[in-house]
Amino acid sequence: MKKKRLRYRIYEAVGLLFTAAAFLVLYTPIVVILALSVNDSVKSYAWDGFTLRWYGDLFASDVMRGPIANTIGVAVLATAIATVFGTLSAIGINALDKRRRIRMIVLNNVPVVNPDIVTGISLMIVFSLVGFTLGFRTVLVAHVFFAVPYVVLSVMPRLKKLDPNLYEAALDLGCSRFSGLWRVIVPNIATGILSGALMAFTMSIDDFVITYFTSGSEYMNVSTWLYAAIGRSRSFTPAAYAYNAIILVFTVAVILFVNTRKDRKEREIRT
Amino acid sequence: MRRLRPYAIPYLVWMGIFILAPTAILFVLSVTDLELYEPGPFSFTLRHFDVFAAPLVATTIGNSLALSATASAICLLIGYPVAFFLSRLGDKTGKILMSLLIVPLWSNMLLRIVAWEKVFTPDSFFTDLTGLSIDLLGTRGAILVGEVAMYLPFMIFPIFSVLEKMDRGLIEAARDLGANDAQTFFRVIFPLSSGGVLAGIIMTLLPAMTSFALPARLGLGRISLIGNVIESKLMKEVLGSAGMSINEGALISLALMLVAVVLFVGVARVDREGETLL
Amino acid sequence: MANRLIVMSGVEKSFDGVKVLSDFNLYVNENEFITLLGPSGCGKTTCLRIIGGFETPDAGTVEFDGRIVNDLEPNQRQINTCFQKFALFPHLDVFENVAFGLRIRKIAKDEVARRVAETLRLVKLDGFGKRSVATLSGGQQQRVAIARAIINRPKVLLLDEPLGALDLKLRQEMQYELKEMQRELGITFIYVTHDQEEALTMSDTIVVMKDGVIQQVGTPEDVYNEPKNRFVANFIGDSNIFDGIMKEDFLVSICGREFRCVDKGFETDEPVDVVIRPEDFDFVPPSKAKIVGVVDSLVFRGVHYEVNVIVDGREYTIHTTKIRAIGDRVGLAVEPDNIHVMKKDSHA
Repeated sequence: MKKKRLRYRIYEAVGLLFTAAAFLVLYTPIVVILALSVNDSVKSYAWDGFTLRWYGDLFASDVMRGPIANTIGVAVLATAIATVFGTLSAIGINALDKRRRIRMIVLNNVPVVNPDIVTGISLMIVFSLVGFTLGFRTVLVAHVFFAVPYVVLSVMPRLKKLDPNLYEAALDLGCSRFSGLWRVIVPNIATGILSGALMAFTMSIDDFVITYFTSGSEYMNVSTWLYAAIGRSRSFTPAAYAYNAIILVFTVAVILFVNTRKDRKEREIRT
Repeated sequence: MRRLRPYAIPYLVWMGIFILAPTAILFVLSVTDLELYEPGPFSFTLRHFDVFAAPLVATTIGNSLALSATASAICLLIGYPVAFFLSRLGDKTGKILMSLLIVPLWSNMLLRIVAWEKVFTPDSFFTDLTGLSIDLLGTRGAILVGEVAMYLPFMIFPIFSVLEKMDRGLIEAARDLGANDAQTFFRVIFPLSSGGVLAGIIMTLLPAMTSFALPARLGLGRISLIGNVIESKLMKEVLGSAGMSINEGALISLALMLVAVVLFVGVARVDREGETLL
Repeated sequence: MANRLIVMSGVEKSFDGVKVLSDFNLYVNENEFITLLGPSGCGKTTCLRIIGGFETPDAGTVEFDGRIVNDLEPNQRQINTCFQKFALFPHLDVFENVAFGLRIRKIAKDEVARRVAETLRLVKLDGFGKRSVATLSGGQQQRVAIARAIINRPKVLLLDEPLGALDLKLRQEMQYELKEMQRELGITFIYVTHDQEEALTMSDTIVVMKDGVIQQVGTPEDVYNEPKNRFVANFIGDSNIFDGIMKEDFLVSICGREFRCVDKGFETDEPVDVVIRPEDFDFVPPSKAKIVGVVDSLVFRGVHYEVNVIVDGREYTIHTTKIRAIGDRVGLAVEPDNIHVMKKDSHA
């Protein structure tokens, strides 16, 4: 018994070491950002004392309000549109014959594998040709564009597992085309839709490159604003760090909640 | 289920507009002398391909490949053991830790870059925080660390997904047939996780090669990557200087896109369901 | 006396606080086809896994060829396993799957090729070498799993319900093939199943288990004709169990009538369980019978009719080719050596 334990203990120790290293590398900037968010200094060349004023500033001053509102607005809208569009498209794709389905999936994955910069440029070119001025509308379209594939990728696996006769059974029992979808298919792929929406939101809220190319000079989201601000360092405010800190805390809370919620549900099912 | 097919049509049209059309345009821009902002008569030309020979571009491509390949390799070397370790922990613990590894991704990329700037500046805020004074700003090392920190979760996640779903019975079968730990790993576990590894490499290599904000700030603009080149060629044009820059930028973009799609099709051959990319 | 290859003494095993094996004692002879038979959860698979080295006993010893092997790793035992869900390596073709054990031991290329070809022929899969595992049918996958195990010439082959995923006809074919294989190869087969017909067909020895305790060990005939208790009697074949009283040696009273039988060694007037198999009853005119009842239902089973007769308020099953109608009064007769007396046990 002891010999076995030793070898496995070594493996475990090594695994733990690497994991600790990974956490160190990933969280160093996070810790720095959190520290910067409570640093009493604008340029933060050094530690100047603890303060919470940047959190207040976040809500009080207008510097960041515009970009933040834009970011969240676009993220929410794009997620909503992308989720609906993506889900319906996934349902359609799933119903295709094998060849066409594979072709659609390859097409679907192009925005996912393409480097951001290529997508950004492509979109910029399309918009320029059509004559749209770069601004809110083009950013929204761009975000929907790169978000939809993630929704499709998230929904497709669950669709595959569904009984192929489900929809027809619903129609047979009297559902209209719309309620057939809504009552029968959607509930069964709900988790896929949800995680797809989550991914879409995540991709949108933090996007930099694509927004950079499709927003022109007037419109700014948090990321493009930051890029300009840290470059010029005139309009930069550490409230940005506060914004980030809040998002992080929120995210961690959501993760912990989702993970413990699943447990509670499973416990309910067992009893 | 066939009656549901029409739902795919709008998407097809959408993709046609936003993928096929721009690709066609990029292609045209790459091989003709069409001017994007002053469309007029144009003719076929291959002279944009010269851009690859231009010394700046050549070193840039070399830099990009070297740096991103190294970053990707480091991500694999660190990421695989982590993914493996996490997949061995109980179902719950593994997933929670995996989620925690993804949390930093929600933090704005630019702010993380700024944070690394502070870490790599000697005698800075970071020094006040930890007592460590690191002078790496403007070096390849800085870009490397930045890239690893940025893309490590993208390597860990697909590998973790695949390992977690792996049939444990296969490991028992291998041991039953006489394999020791090393043999079990190299003959059974690693080959079966190759889809995840490939996905991880794609998701780290390409973004690393094409990022421009990271090298711009952590490399202090001294080290140019492909992304920087494309950006400067395009944005310069937009801001008003003359030349064929856009066409060259288009060509480079197209080349990148080709690489990405080829790699993707390669992965699709290995893994049929397209799930590893998630 | 055959060589005892495996000896399990006093083995105990629990999972999550639930005792799966208690004070388990079993020995397995060389060159034997022994089956662990029992309902789900009786511990048979756990026993198999302990022998294979995939679980360690909480207490007791497992001996293999004279040495104690409790802690010996599976890859160091001369035992190979045929897993229930086959566990074929999806990334390797049939050839490489079968050759896996040989490759591990770094056996020379040409010998590997020779032995793989030979083994594939044995399992009737010649020419399947290049096929991918996913394209095979259940039966073919099963044979690959067997080939992969036996090519290593283990002393013992463990089979964990290997035929469960196959349809009836195929299962019956494979049962014969496995039995033939065991005889040809001279390997000890330890087989786990919940299908009593399978066990009766293939085994030299059957170990009937329930709740981690061995109920009976014996040849198929022993276990079928002379079940030790109610559980075994019910689990193996169909049976009718009467409450009886043992009057004296060779005489038992059932349904108020006395019958000559072939069992002895009970106390006078001891209450006992009496087992009579459905096929051992015969219909006779009621006037000449010691047991009389009324036909309640009958079902045609091809080989025979299955007739339920109600005697004194209880239902008994008879297998016969003689047709009767529902509602008929019938008389039942049985030969003395088909009456089997068992001690009553309080738990069954």
